Formats: sequence, C-alpha cells, structure tokens
Amino acid sequence: MIADFFKRMLILVRREVWESPFAFKWTPLMIFGFLALMIGLALILGARVDNQMSFTLDGIRMWAETDPEQKRLMMTGGMFSIGILFHQIMFLVVIFYLAGSLYDDRKDRSILFWKSLPVSDQLTVASKLLTAMIAAPLLFLAGIALTHLLILVVASFYALAAGINPFTEVWLPANPPLIWFVMLLGSLVQSLWLLPIYAWLMFCSSWAPRLPILIAFIVPALVGLFQHFWSLLTSMSLPGMNLFVIIFERIGKGVMPSSIDWQEVMKQGNTVTYSPMADQLVSLKSILQVLITAEMWIGVAIGLLLLAGAVWFRRRATDN
Amino acid sequence: MSAIVHARGLTRKYGSTVALDRVDLEIPAGRIVGLIGPNGAGKTTALKAMLGLTSFQGTLEVLGLNPSKNRDQLMQDVCFIADVAVLPRWARVWQIIELTEKLHPRFSRETCLHYLARTKIHQNAKVRTLSKGMVVQFHLALVMAIDAKLLVLDEPTLGLDILFRKQFYTSLLNEYFDEQRTILITTHQVEEVEHILTDLIFIQDGRFVLDSSMDEVHERYTEVMVGPDRVEQARSLSPIHERALFGRHIFLFDGGDPARLAELGEIHKPGIADLFVALMGEPEQAREQAA
Repeated sequence: MIADFFKRMLILVRREVWESPFAFKWTPLMIFGFLALMIGLALILGARVDNQMSFTLDGIRMWAETDPEQKRLMMTGGMFSIGILFHQIMFLVVIFYLAGSLYDDRKDRSILFWKSLPVSDQLTVASKLLTAMIAAPLLFLAGIALTHLLILVVASFYALAAGINPFTEVWLPANPPLIWFVMLLGSLVQSLWLLPIYAWLMFCSSWAPRLPILIAFIVPALVGLFQHFWSLLTSMSLPGMNLFVIIFERIGKGVMPSSIDWQEVMKQGNTVTYSPMADQLVSLKSILQVLITAEMWIGVAIGLLLLAGAVWFRRRATDN
Repeated sequence: MSAIVHARGLTRKYGSTVALDRVDLEIPAGRIVGLIGPNGAGKTTALKAMLGLTSFQGTLEVLGLNPSKNRDQLMQDVCFIADVAVLPRWARVWQIIELTEKLHPRFSRETCLHYLARTKIHQNAKVRTLSKGMVVQFHLALVMAIDAKLLVLDEPTLGLDILFRKQFYTSLLNEYFDEQRTILITTHQVEEVEHILTDLIFIQDGRFVLDSSMDEVHERYTEVMVGPDRVEQARSLSPIHERALFGRHIFLFDGGDPARLAELGEIHKPGIADLFVALMGEPEQAREQAA
C-alpha cells in the first residue's frame, strides 16, 4: 500500500520534471556552467598576472600553515556561498513553476488526459507541491555539488603543484558531504517555511482564468496597499500588520542558504576576542530551531488551508 | 447485470442556460451507443458528468459509482478519448506510456507497443511533432491496452482524414469491443458510426429526442422513395419528413403499415443522418450538423 503510494508519487514527480526540464535540469546545469566559466576566467587571469605562479603557490603554502579551525571556517563559508546563487534562482524557478502548475494543463486541455487516469486530485496537487518542496532542492543541490567538486578538484591540482597534501589541506577542511547534508536539510526546512507562499501560488494557479502569476502578485499587493492607506486615513499612522511586509519577512527570514547560527554569532560578537567558528556555519541547531517556532506552524496551517482550496478547485476544473 | 450507466433526472445548468434537462438514461453492458446532437445540445456536458468532470443535479451512477465523488476510482474501469488535442504536447511517447503503466493498474505495455508497432510513431517522438492522426492513433493504442469496462469517445475522429477514421473504427470494433465492454460515442460524422452502433440517442437542447436500440429504430422508421405520381397519396399518410432528390420524393414514416408503404415505392432503412434531420426540427441547421 505504502510502497504503491510511493511508486505513484515518484512517477508523478518525474512527470513534473519531464514537463519542465528547463526549470529543473537545465537551470542548475547552466548556473554550474556559468560558475565554471567564471572560475576558468579567474584562473587564466591569475596565471597572467602571476607569471611564474610564485605568488599563487606561496599563497597556497601559507594557507596550509593557517590554523585548522580558521581553514575550516573559510572553506565552509566558501562552500555555502556557492549555494547562494543556486538557491536564489531556484526560488524564482519554483515561483514560476507553481504558478503554472495547476493552470497550464487547463489551458492546453491536456487536463482531460490527466483526469482520465485513475489519480485523485489530492495526489495530483501533492505531487506538484512535492516537486517544488523536495525534487527542486535535490536537483539544485546536484548543481551545487557539481560546482563544489569542480572547485575542490582544481584546488587539489594547485595544492599538488605547491607540494601540499590536497586531502588534508583541501578536502578535509571543506568536508563536502557534511555541507551537502546541512544544505539539503536547510532546503527542506526552508520549503516548509515557505509553504504558505507555495500554497498561495498553487491556489491561484488552480482557479485563475489566465495569468495566475500576475494574480498571485497583485492580490497581496493590493491588500497591502489598501491596509497602508486605510491606517493612514483612519489613524494617521502606518499599519502595524501589513500583509506585504509579512510576506517579505517570510521570504527573507528563512534558514537558507548558509544556515548561520546568528544568535550564537551575535552573542559572541559582543566580546572583543570574538572569532566565528565553523561550527556556527554548519549549525543544525539553527535549522531545527525554526521548526519549533509558532511562526513556522502558523504558516504551515495557512498553507494547508490554501492547498485544500487548490484541491477543491482542481476537482471542478476541466478544459474551459 | 446492473447497468453501466444509470441516470435519473440528470440536470446540469450553467447560470440560466440548461445544458442537460432531467435526462433519464440506462446503458447496459456490451452496447455501442451513439450520442448524436447539434453543437450545444448537451452531448459533451453529459459525457463530462459521467466522467466526473462536471457537477450535476439528479442521480447518476457509472459502474455503480458517483462520478463526481469517485473519479479516480472510476477511471480504473473507464477510458476516455476527448477530441484529438488532449495528449500533453510537451511529453514524449515513451513518457506517456511509462506514466500510464505506473498509474493505471489495468494497462498492458505489451499490448500498447503491439498496436504502436503498426504505426509510424516513434517512442522518442514528442507529441507536439506528431500529426493529428498519429496523436489519435497513439491515444487509441493507449486506450486499447487498458482493460476497461466503459470507453467514452467524444468526437474522437474530428479533423482526421478518411483513412484514419476508417482505421480507427475498424480497430475499435475488431480488436477491442466485446460483450464485456461498452462504448459511448459522440460524433458529427454519423455515417461512419451508424453501422457499428447498437443503440442510438438523439439529444437536443439538453433533452433526449430519441433513445432506442438500432433494431427498434429500423423497425419503427421507414423511408420510402416515391415517384411524382404518388406524392399526394404518401403525404396523406402523415410522414414525419419529406425531401426531394432527382425528381423523386423521399418520405420518412414513423410506424406505419409496411404493406401500405411498400405500395408507394421503394422501401429503405433510413440513415441516421436523415433520421436526425427529420427529428431535429430546423432543417437547414440540422442538415449542416448531420453532413
């Protein structure tokens, strides 16, 4: 029963990736290509400036002599910063994907084919949501991992040229499997954090007669604007609770992408001798802490309500 | 054996427009039913109600299930081809086969590939690159590979050339249909289906104008070709329709004594198209639909 459910869910999620290969396969690959190109250019430029490679190799030897904790910190920071570009573009891709997810097949009438399959509307909506919440983070993580590996391999060659052990000086402080695990966990928690926004997009997609993405933006914008003017007119002040601000806070506040334990950093930042620790960068605690906030679960509840609405409209949707 | 489709007082309104007006329907197993009517008569609405694609009032049971509540369960035993354009255009042929296999418990990949092998469709082709005829061939191959109890076809051959249309109905009849299965067809191309139908339903303005088996239709309606000298005599027997063809008059009678009709001239079984024109009022519009 459960195995059957997973089999069906898996093929439905694969369908989504088949339908949008540009969003989920080519976009992360293209970001990887872009970063690889930048790295290549930087290396060529470096080789031009530093003809004999003496500065470069000296620099690498100096790197080998720095404090191991410092090495870890810098490596970890570098590894995470590579993820930023991927994750921000992924967020945009997912927004557009979800806005079209329950709309495109109504427009091109293929909904009549999909509804001729013995798949419930709940399962259909769930498969599209899970594509955004799980499949997209996994595929973009693959792009990040590819970039990481490329950089670490290049760095290893430079280390060898400088007579330094690449394993202890490059791979060990970078610790890619740990970084990937933290990134994945962070992405999943972030997906849950953004559930109300994802669900809102799907909700709009499920009934919009056209341009679901525009409707999804305009409705909260108008509500926010109205709130703004209303409180200005009635109490001559700015609103205490503004929908648009709430949404932006939601987007800005999550755990991604570097999952820095800000609380810890802030606390220690007051002392004069403070230096950040790598552990604060790969902090599982800061990720999991989000899970026990009321804000998180209020958002999830709103998301579930909107999803129920999306299923309701999906059940009634046909080709016109 | 309970009915495949059972409807009582089936009604569907869009605002003030009544698309289906208290329709009663009973389709037993092993029939091929033609649902014929002009555009906007309610054909597609009736099919959509049976497929759980629209809400309705009244009672409707398909294979004992309420389609609007149990669509996903119902679709295990019901197949459906809307008109030609509904296979997802972005998908490749093998992807749709893979999807159907994983999602449909009664689908046989082997059978599907067997039917596909007769066509020029490549598994790696995208649906958008296939011609209209090939898309229908592909959809038919998918559907014939599903062991379903009810097959619903809504204008399945719209816009196809005559070779594809012939082939479509030939495969359907010879390789798919048997006593366990029921097929429900709507189409404007009535001449092509009239020889395969076992039952005929005419629908107009959301109501059934005719609902009977083809045998009953042939028993009840008679077409007589009358020479100019007997026209007045034929008219006195109150025909339901009259048309002129090459100087001869063709009368359509509902009931009537076969012996007396035979005296008037040559007797035929009426074609569905002619019957349609006779029963559906406004001749011009109806002829256009039936053509």
